[in-house]
Amino acid sequence: MANYGYGGGYSTTSYGAQGGAEGGGFMGGSQQGSQDSPGGSRTYGKDTLRPVTIKQIIDAVQPHPDSDFKIDGSEVTQVTFVGQINSISSQTTNTTYKVDDGTGLIEVKQWIDSDADATTAKPQPKEGEYLRVFGRLKAFNNKRHVAAHVIRPIADYNEVNYHLLEATAVHLYFTQGPPEGVANGVKQEGGMFVDAGVGNGVAAKGGKLPPKITGVGRKVYELLQSEPQNNEGLHVNMIAQKLGVPSNEVFKAGDVLLGEGLIYTTVDDETWAVLEY
Amino acid sequence: MADPLSTPRLTSPHLEHFPSRTIRLVGRVTLLRGDVATLDSDGAVTAHLNRDSHLTVGNWVEVVGKVNGDLSLRVLVSRDLGRDVDFEAVKAVVDATHRYKEIFYSE
Repeated sequence: MANYGYGGGYSTTSYGAQGGAEGGGFMGGSQQGSQDSPGGSRTYGKDTLRPVTIKQIIDAVQPHPDSDFKIDGSEVTQVTFVGQINSISSQTTNTTYKVDDGTGLIEVKQWIDSDADATTAKPQPKEGEYLRVFGRLKAFNNKRHVAAHVIRPIADYNEVNYHLLEATAVHLYFTQGPPEGVANGVKQEGGMFVDAGVGNGVAAKGGKLPPKITGVGRKVYELLQSEPQNNEGLHVNMIAQKLGVPSNEVFKAGDVLLGEGLIYTTVDDETWAVLEY
Repeated sequence: MADPLSTPRLTSPHLEHFPSRTIRLVGRVTLLRGDVATLDSDGAVTAHLNRDSHLTVGNWVEVVGKVNGDLSLRVLVSRDLGRDVDFEAVKAVVDATHRYKEIFYSE
């Protein structure tokens, strides 16, 4: 796909050249994003803009040099975060900020655009100010930094709290699956008071699962509750087939549910029923 | 590695769990007397200010400081946040910080 070729070329340019391109402004990144997104399949998840804490950047794993960084098991290229400026060092080609958001410290480099009109230049951020940074995660000489596309000062402190909550929500999305739907939430409330209708009861019990039960785990549990069955419960293969999920995924989910004491094994290790009391 | 660099966000009730650690706290200035300030952060906190601190009674402030033995704070950095701070959001962040500490700080 032509789009993909462009994206690939962009991300493999040499360090210096790419830095220059970023110095030109946000256009490069945004253009690439808009071209890639309709393509979908191959570049899916590649050009994302993820809200993170600085600790997540420090903890991000790079499976091998030059590969993309991974946070919570998913690839990240562009990130956004907030932080307070610890120190500023201006060089001829770039300005390096040490930024601290209370979770860690990271260097942010902003390349200086020599073509920029000095009269329209924005005032330089000062030490102690909170910043919002949009940029790309880089490793250079084993040292991590963020090459910034855009840096802007934060005028309203509430944005700091907003960002940290958003980063938490996205972290939970990747580690524990999507949140329960709104409709489900309403049903849960109904189910809290009366343990009546089947639909109500199922939703309520699904909602009572501990937060560490992931998406597949919830589906398995809900199926075990709603599926008509005899007292032997359901076999793993049957669950996998009904949910359209690979059986190893079902096994993994089942292990967690078993560990939590939410389900139990019946005739053999691979046949499960809901533990109700 | 990142440990000494992280300053966990907390409110007054958490102070006792972080003895002699450097922490971050948002509170409203209720009293200012010399270089000692009293902050309201879900409970009263005594803050021993440094020379660079410029606090205003009634304003919100974010301080980075070390927790003393008597649960007062020795302020290292303070930043005036004005009056328009949603403290419910501050509390939500503190809650998330300790509930999902893997992305906020290490022990």
